[in-house]
Amino acid sequence: MDATDRLFPFAAIIGQDDLKEALILNAVNPLCGGVLARGEKGTAKSTAARSLSELLPPATKYQGCHFNCDPLKTKELCPYCKERSNQVEPLPSPAPFRTLPLNATEDRVAGSLNFEAALKTGLKTFEPGLLASVHRGILYVDEVNLLDDHIVDLILSAAANGENVVEREGISITHPARFILVGTMNPEEGELRPQLLDRFGLSVMVEGVKEPEDRVRLMEEREQFDQDSQVFRAKHAQKTIDLKNLILSAQTILPSVNISKRILKFIATMCAENNAAGHRADLILAEAVRAKAALKGLFEVNEEMVTELAPMVLAHRRREMAPPPPPPPPAEEEEEKKENAQNPENEKEKKEPQESQQEDDQNEDNQAQENEEEALKSNQNEPQSQDGQDSSPSLTPLEEDIENKELGPDKPNQASQEQIFEIGEPFKVKKIENQKDRLKRRGSGRRSRSLAGQKQGRYVKSGKFRDNLDLALDATIRAAAPYQLSREKKSNLAVTLKKADLRGCIREQRVGDLLFFLVDASGSMGARGRMAASKGAILSLLLDAYQKRDKVCLISFRRTEATVNLPLCSSVDLASKLLAQMPVGGRTPLSAGLAAAYREVRNALLKNPLARPIVIVITDGRANVPLYPEKKPNPIKEASQLARAMSLEKRIKFVVVDTEEPGLVNFNLASALSINLEAQYFKTNDLKASTLIDIIKQTNAN
Amino acid sequence: MVNGYELNKFKVLIFRVLETKGILPNMPQNAPIFPFTAIVGQEKMKLGLILNVINPSLSGILIRGEKGTAKSTAVRAAADILPQIAVIKDNPFQLSPYDDLETYRELERSLGREPQENFEVQMRKVRVVELPVGATEDRVVGSLDLEKALKTGDKLVEPGLLAAAHRGILYVDEVNLLDDHVVDALLDSAAMGVNVIEREGVSFSHPARFSLVGTMNPEEGELRPQLLDRFGLCVTIEGERDLENRVKVMERRALFEKAPEAFIESYKIQSEELALKITKARDLLPQVTIDRQLLFDIARYCLAVGVDGHRGDILVLKTAKTLAAWRGQTQVDNSDITSAAQLALPHRVRREPLMAVAENLDKLRLGG
Repeated sequence: MDATDRLFPFAAIIGQDDLKEALILNAVNPLCGGVLARGEKGTAKSTAARSLSELLPPATKYQGCHFNCDPLKTKELCPYCKERSNQVEPLPSPAPFRTLPLNATEDRVAGSLNFEAALKTGLKTFEPGLLASVHRGILYVDEVNLLDDHIVDLILSAAANGENVVEREGISITHPARFILVGTMNPEEGELRPQLLDRFGLSVMVEGVKEPEDRVRLMEEREQFDQDSQVFRAKHAQKTIDLKNLILSAQTILPSVNISKRILKFIATMCAENNAAGHRADLILAEAVRAKAALKGLFEVNEEMVTELAPMVLAHRRREMAPPPPPPPPAEEEEEKKENAQNPENEKEKKEPQESQQEDDQNEDNQAQENEEEALKSNQNEPQSQDGQDSSPSLTPLEEDIENKELGPDKPNQASQEQIFEIGEPFKVKKIENQKDRLKRRGSGRRSRSLAGQKQGRYVKSGKFRDNLDLALDATIRAAAPYQLSREKKSNLAVTLKKADLRGCIREQRVGDLLFFLVDASGSMGARGRMAASKGAILSLLLDAYQKRDKVCLISFRRTEATVNLPLCSSVDLASKLLAQMPVGGRTPLSAGLAAAYREVRNALLKNPLARPIVIVITDGRANVPLYPEKKPNPIKEASQLARAMSLEKRIKFVVVDTEEPGLVNFNLASALSINLEAQYFKTNDLKASTLIDIIKQTNAN
Repeated sequence: MVNGYELNKFKVLIFRVLETKGILPNMPQNAPIFPFTAIVGQEKMKLGLILNVINPSLSGILIRGEKGTAKSTAVRAAADILPQIAVIKDNPFQLSPYDDLETYRELERSLGREPQENFEVQMRKVRVVELPVGATEDRVVGSLDLEKALKTGDKLVEPGLLAAAHRGILYVDEVNLLDDHVVDALLDSAAMGVNVIEREGVSFSHPARFSLVGTMNPEEGELRPQLLDRFGLCVTIEGERDLENRVKVMERRALFEKAPEAFIESYKIQSEELALKITKARDLLPQVTIDRQLLFDIARYCLAVGVDGHRGDILVLKTAKTLAAWRGQTQVDNSDITSAAQLALPHRVRREPLMAVAENLDKLRLGG
């Protein structure tokens, strides 16, 4: 029994017509650019993608070539094939179909030095990686949204150029790498990077079958398959062969399928109307339509086919659906990594340029905002406004103004009553994350990217060896391999290592952050549905925290004191449950809340000094209960003093969510608080990712 | 040139690397195991484990519950009632001598050995392979064989825990605390039944079909929905409320602590009876049939409670069949389906990431 015997036959998959069509279109015409199957779990996404491998028409190549060179493209042939091209005929061989596991390392994806050969012969030979072996075939990634950024970068650059450039370990080689990317993902686990998303030609939303009749058939088929897969496959063998032949004949027709200018115009209009970014959508739609015509045995495409296939091409490219997030900086990262590999000890040295860069950023920001915010200029430490235009009025009132303002106490009926508000509608929140730095952290999660100090995290590439015993053995041997013949043998080991050969693992992991929610539960929050909206905002942040595996802590303040509802823990579920039950009513002891939050954060920092806590204050800022009543201070003044003191702890990042609605009288107290805390400032509505492009920048230098 | 001191330091370093990569043999474990039949109460959990032993294609069980409710004890004890399987001797991938011949030839080469035509076949118990929460990824999925690479310069494979768990049980205590990237690796291979390795210069794949058994305390955080779905069944357990039973728990535990061997001996007959019953059910399972009308009931049930995808349907069917076999019947009846749904659906009911795991299916079914 070999691997294909365990494949569920493609033809036996029930329902999922869109997905099946998209996959077949790709098998017919590789220029369709791959398929992304999105959808709930257990809907035959992976089953379909994997069983596609047996439907692919064979590709001809010279036997023994590791690069899958196309014999017809004589210019691209590898030396091995060139040698053969005059002597032997290329033979048909199965089209490559390879799975990229999530834990793949860079050397296997791009290819690297073959240490076995180097040790034995002393010759530097290149060992082709996955990108070489999927040339002219399919690269399949299950759960593609969980793929590491490093590997994604490699795939993106190969896909963009159609070739893989390797410059490592003394090897310099370029080979063609044109492949179809097939991926599956479950959106519950987070979204894809837009650039990677764009690389998928077609995308299909997959849903479970709703008809009981179909579901029953599905159960029966599956049961039969599990009982004896070979018998089941034999039963469907004829259908598989028919499908194979259909694809093969479509492929022969394909070159002669014609697209009229009228149809091309139609395609262009359709893409333009849907605001598709760039021109890839047009090109792919045209190719997909041609493949479809070929499948039908037609030589001419018509409008109907275009309208049928347009959703697959456009669904993930529509601009209003996915706002363009900030361009990911792969180039810079590569540089960082290289730098890192060369002189990792000099942490300090490298921190400096980073810091100065941050300052530059800050300056730029300041300049950009100068014309709008005169007030900001007076203070170097002022945080930047997060929102260019909207927040400019909110920053204008200076602190003195606020202090002078008379604030009426909360209305008595609000103060005395206790209410529990429903949770407002949750939404997708904008990215809140710490900047990647060079500190090593422990922990696990998905929010901020961090170099991993412990031997946890995904081993993505190798660098200079450090004293943490995290030896990257493969890289070490590769480094030593070419010198083995000239080195004196001192032991019975095959490899003589020198200290200079040692390489360490560079691991990366996403570190979940510590999120502290400081929620104002006073009576003023109960007014005009504020609390419902705030709860909605908090829930959205919690959902986000869940995806990023953060630890959360929930603190609320009302009446005269602050309560730690949930000490720091990773149970986001519990936090949301407690949030739903949180009562509202009473006065606003903002100072007490801040103090409690600070206490909790301090404790967390003592446990883990390298943690990067984020404190999210959700309030309207109308403090009216002082922390130390005996001194009879102004509660607002007291809170702002406290806030300023807290802002001195640079490891903590603050975010203030202002729940005050724009009205006739705006006190803008929360924005003043955010200035004192040097915090990022949002209105409740600004948090929504869909309403604004991602504008969060690092406000406090690490 | 390197001086003596440095050379020594270097040796120590290599040794420690070897050690941390888990290459040195572990100490044999022969600590006495608390007998499965001596566990008081927790019938649902025991049933779930037994069903998985009878039918490994149920793909495991997730046991949710508070601290100290015999979760881990039960899983470890299940090793007692596991059946025997035939494996190719000295093959670290637990390959079957019948089904995996092709794979055997391929894999032997990647281990640097010549595949033999007349290999020895060995009968041994199905294994429970424990995946510790702090396990590193290279040990889980496998990596480059360090020793061979250094000694002979050959690039060979060092199989990981997933290889050891093939055709067995992979047990994760506190599965919700597992590192994210290890979970990804689990998802990858649990989905395909194949573990693909493309790392550290080695490229290869081997079959890895295992039952995933996990325990967790929901207070410590929930599981990712994707991983949750990979568990065939799910039970939520609580401490015994009955006073008499609580006393029984204490008594038995005390007896076990005092004289483990004697305690195990006193449960020997019960254990053997259970093992026999399980064997009978295993033999009966292929003959179990189900009325087509009942399949519609399953489909409607799943639609009514709102299950993502089709894995729910398939597992209710499998569980119902296994339950019938366990009762000694060859025909699935209505009650089998109801109890199967209670086991296979609670963690599959469609929910937002922050919703609790459904506890009352009937309510959902009627409400929906």
